[in-house]
Amino acid sequence: MSTITISNLRKVYGPIAAVDGFSLEIPGASVFGILGPNGAGKTTTFKCMLGLARATSGVVLYDGRPLVPATLERIAYVPERSVLYDWMTVEEHVEMNRRAFSAFNPARAFELLELFNVDRRRRVRALSKGMRTAVMVALAFAQSAEILVLDEPTGGLDPINQRHVLSLMINEAAKGNSVVFSSHQIGQVERAAEQIAVMDRGRLILQGLVDDLKGDRKIVEGVFPDVRFVLDGIANDPRVARVDRTERIVRLLVTGGANDIASRLSAAGAMGVRILDLNLEDIFLYAVSPATATTDIVAKGSSS
Amino acid sequence: MNYVEWLRIRNCLRIVAIILAILVVLAVILRVSVSRYMSSEAWIAHMAMENGAKETHTVLPDGTKRMIIDDPSDQTHIVVDDHGYAGRHIVITEPSSRAHREDSHVNVGSVHVEESRHGSMTTTIVDTNGAVPMIYYMAIADVVALIVATILAAPLAREIDGHLEIALTKPCSRVRYALGVIGVDVAGIVAASVLTVLAFYLCQLLFESPRLDFSGINARAVGMGIALPLAWYAMLCAATTWLNRAYGAVQGFAWPVALLIGVLAAIQPSNVVTLFVHDVAWALSRLDPLSYVSMATPTSNGSIAYAGADFGLRFSIQVLLFVVYGALAVWQWQRVEA
Repeated sequence: MSTITISNLRKVYGPIAAVDGFSLEIPGASVFGILGPNGAGKTTTFKCMLGLARATSGVVLYDGRPLVPATLERIAYVPERSVLYDWMTVEEHVEMNRRAFSAFNPARAFELLELFNVDRRRRVRALSKGMRTAVMVALAFAQSAEILVLDEPTGGLDPINQRHVLSLMINEAAKGNSVVFSSHQIGQVERAAEQIAVMDRGRLILQGLVDDLKGDRKIVEGVFPDVRFVLDGIANDPRVARVDRTERIVRLLVTGGANDIASRLSAAGAMGVRILDLNLEDIFLYAVSPATATTDIVAKGSSS
Repeated sequence: MNYVEWLRIRNCLRIVAIILAILVVLAVILRVSVSRYMSSEAWIAHMAMENGAKETHTVLPDGTKRMIIDDPSDQTHIVVDDHGYAGRHIVITEPSSRAHREDSHVNVGSVHVEESRHGSMTTTIVDTNGAVPMIYYMAIADVVALIVATILAAPLAREIDGHLEIALTKPCSRVRYALGVIGVDVAGIVAASVLTVLAFYLCQLLFESPRLDFSGINARAVGMGIALPLAWYAMLCAATTWLNRAYGAVQGFAWPVALLIGVLAAIQPSNVVTLFVHDVAWALSRLDPLSYVSMATPTSNGSIAYAGADFGLRFSIQVLLFVVYGALAVWQWQRVEA
C-alpha cells in the first residue's frame, strides 16, 4: 500500500505557474480522481510526480521517500496523449516493457490487449487513437505496479472499453494498489473514485471523499415564464450558497431547507420547481466556475 | 532498457545488409563475366604457345603446381608457382627491352609487382597473395559507417520528440539510459563497419584470396576507421540533443555543412575577406572529426602511410571528440523535461 504525499508543489513555466502551491495526500489502496478544467495543471502535476518535469519548488514523496529511479519500478504511467512508437508493433511495445520492468507480465498484457480488441501484430501507426490509449492502458496494468498514474486513461475509448478501464482501476485498488487518475468524464470519476481533488489554475480548490463533498446539499431548480423574473430575496437566504441563472432557468445550491426554498421559488412565480441531488458534475462546476448571477445581481433584479 | 534503440539498429543494419548483398551479387556477376579476361592462365597459355617455348609441369612437395616456360628464342624464362586459391607467385626473366620502364614497385590490392634489372635482363616478380592494405577496406567501411552514424545520430532527440514519457519512466537513471542508448548505437555503427568489410572481403574473395594483415599501418587504419564514425556520431548526437526540435535538419545538413567547412578551410586566402572566411572555417573545422582524417599515400617503397600529422595525435583527438560530444549529449539529456 503506497501513499503519495505532494507538498507545496509549484511548477513555473516563464511567467505562468502551471502548478501553484499544490498539496495533496493520496492514500494507498484507493482510486483517487483529479478533476480540473483544461490548463488546470493536472498533467503538469503528474509530470512532476514522475520526474518528467522538475518542480520549481515543493516535494513529492512515495511512502515518505523522494522519487528515485528504482521507485519507477513500482509506478505505471499512462500519459494523456499517445507516446507509443509509431513504427513499432504492439508486440514490440510489450517486449520493451518486459525488458524495462522486472515485474511486467507479458501474458497479462496480451490478455488485456485481447480484451480491448487490439491486434498485437499491428504497428502503432495503424491504430486508431482509442486503440493507442488501450495499448498504453494494457501496458500499464500489466506492469504489476503499486501505483498507477493515469492521465485521461479513457481518452478516445469506446464506452465498452471505458468501462473495462474503470473496472481495472477499481480492481487494482481492491488489490491494495493506488490509482490516481484524471478525466474530463465526470461520470467516470464518480463511478470509480472514492476521493477526488479539484484543481483550477494550478491550485487545489476542493478535496475529499465524494460522498462527503455532496453532503446534504441539494439543487433547487426553477423555470420562470419570462426571462425577467424576481427572486423575492431568495438569493439572500443564508441557506442559498449559490445562484446560477440561465435565461428563464434558475438553479440554487442550497445547504439545507430545500423544500422551503422550493416553495418560495414557486411563490415567486417559477412554474416547474425540482429538487435535485447534487452530483459530482455539480460539485466540479461549482468549484471551478463563477456563478452566472451573483446574489447582488439577482437582488438588483428583484428590486427593479 | 535500450530495446527501442536495438530495434532501430536492427532496422538500419537490415538495410545496410540488403545494399551490401546487392553489391556482392553484382560482384558475382562481374566475376562470371570477366573470368576469361582476368585469368593469368590465358597470358601463360599465350606465352607457352610461342614458337620455341618449352613448357614443364611439376608438383612440389607442398602441393604447389609449378610450371616453367622457357623460350630461348625470346630469352624469356617464366616460373609460375600456383598455390591454388592462395594465389600465384610468378617470376619472369626477360630482356630489359621488353620489360616495363615505369614503376619498379606496384601494389594493387593483394597483387604485388616488383621489377629489378640485372644488366640487360629484367626480373619481374608477381605475387598475387600480398596482404591487402586495410585502409582500402576501412575507407569503404567508413563511408557506410558514417552514413549509418548520421542516421542513428539522434537517439535522444527522437525520445524527446514525443516519447519522453516512456524513456523517463523506466526504472533507471537518465545518465544510464543515455549511455546505454549511445552504447547500443556505437555497437550498431561498428557492426555496420564489420558488415561492410566482410562484404567487400567476400567480393574480393570472388576474384582472389585476399590476405588480411592487422599489424602496423593496417592496425592504425582499423583504429582510425572505427574512431572516425564514432566521433562523427557523437558530434551529431550532441547537436541533435541540444537542437532537438530540429534534429532532422541537423542530420540532413551535417554532411553539406561539414564538406563546406572543409573546403573553405582548405582554400588559399587571396584577400582579407577570403582570409577571414578561411580562418573561421579552419577554426570550425577543428570541431569536426572529419578534419582529423588524413588520406593514405604510398611511400617510395610501395607501402602505405598516413600523410600529415602524427597518427597518435589524430586518433587521440577523435577519441577525445567522441568523449566530449557524448558528454554534452548526456548533459543535455539530463536537463530535458516532458
